[in-house]
Amino acid sequence: MKLCEFIRPASLAAARDNLRELGPKGMILAGGTALHFMQDHTPVTAVDITRLGLSFIKPEGDFYNIGAATPLADIQRYRAPRWAMHEICRRISTHQIRNVSTIGGNVCRVFPWADLPVVLLAMDARMAIYSGKEQEFGADEYFASQPAKRFLDGNILTSVKVPALKAHHGFGSMKVVRTQASFALVTVAARLELAGNVIQAARVAAGSAIPFPRRLPSVEAALVGREAVAAVFQEAAAQAGRDAPWRGREGMSPEYSRHLAEVTIQDALERAATFARGRTE
Amino acid sequence: MIKHPHVVTFTLNGELKTFITRPDEKLLDLLRREGYKGTKYGCGQGTCGACTVLMDGRAVYSCLLFAMQAENRDVRTIESIGTHEKPSEFQQELIDGAAVQCGFCIPGMIMSAEALMQAEEVYPDDIVREYMDGNLCRCTGYEKIWGALRRVLDRREAAHPKK
Repeated sequence: MKLCEFIRPASLAAARDNLRELGPKGMILAGGTALHFMQDHTPVTAVDITRLGLSFIKPEGDFYNIGAATPLADIQRYRAPRWAMHEICRRISTHQIRNVSTIGGNVCRVFPWADLPVVLLAMDARMAIYSGKEQEFGADEYFASQPAKRFLDGNILTSVKVPALKAHHGFGSMKVVRTQASFALVTVAARLELAGNVIQAARVAAGSAIPFPRRLPSVEAALVGREAVAAVFQEAAAQAGRDAPWRGREGMSPEYSRHLAEVTIQDALERAATFARGRTE
Repeated sequence: MIKHPHVVTFTLNGELKTFITRPDEKLLDLLRREGYKGTKYGCGQGTCGACTVLMDGRAVYSCLLFAMQAENRDVRTIESIGTHEKPSEFQQELIDGAAVQCGFCIPGMIMSAEALMQAEEVYPDDIVREYMDGNLCRCTGYEKIWGALRRVLDRREAAHPKK
């Protein structure tokens, strides 16, 4: 990519007009970090959306509404009752990157190692897209395939709505890395709804060691209706091999990746259960 | 569509400045060609932290920002922190603690520490690590740098105990 022009539209509508006019030569810029790593030399125009009021976190009814241009550092620092998003954001890359990189940038074009799609799948978040009017997509639909194709017509992700966790609902996310700045070897997120200590509903998602972030339905099925205890978590995590083709990489066999995922799933489930039993922050 | 001229205006170390640039010029390259060479080119890919500057008080990698992104922002480089004659408190501690070997990482370390001291009032180790986790040093093993920073932070906490 070669950045040949840089424009700052005054409104969301103007940004969409710019992007529609530019077609494939237009590129939304929020944090802009990904643009530095695009290897081809296609001339593109950056359409800067950082000054359109898309950086915010607002409690709205049953959701926390997070503006698409909100830096990860802001999500990391935000605190509210039963807010869980800071947990994963503090583990994404480095302080300097978190100050620039945005939630929208993480979910508009999904890379296999991305952490936030995993979290948003487990949380059953909703993505709001501006296409002249605002449309919302649930995480299962949005992440069913590469979301970047939703933005080819100049459409713009405006916000991500993360459900507020109710009493007895818990969330846990785990990310395994070699160093703070490196991409995840495996990322797992889990959301549990408990009645007493019985699991009423479960959403478990994974990424990084598989081709594309996804939910793990066999793991979820092995949890529902059962006690939230370590033995059940271990049994459920052992189902992970049914749901996804775990990939090896340098220094890691596919079997090791799957084993790492199983252990990480257990840890994420433990965290979610602890949260559901009474963590209040 | 109105095409903007390739000009960027921002506050640099307290002075409002305007620069001619290209859309693809990185902030790091603009700063260095304008003489702000304390900001170092290390990895060029947002890993080592040698190019760290503050933008609106936040530590950022200037190698991963286009200069145009600095429009109307407040940018601070290492040149704003101290001088040979009058180093900042952290700079003096680095000198006194013999914490600098090749020195290439130090401007970035100082800018991350500056962001920490601007934003936080208390400095538990986990918070300090979060602010410093994007700066690599290949010489020292970090111990002396960490020790120098810890002494500064401990003094600040003692001077302004949290109520």
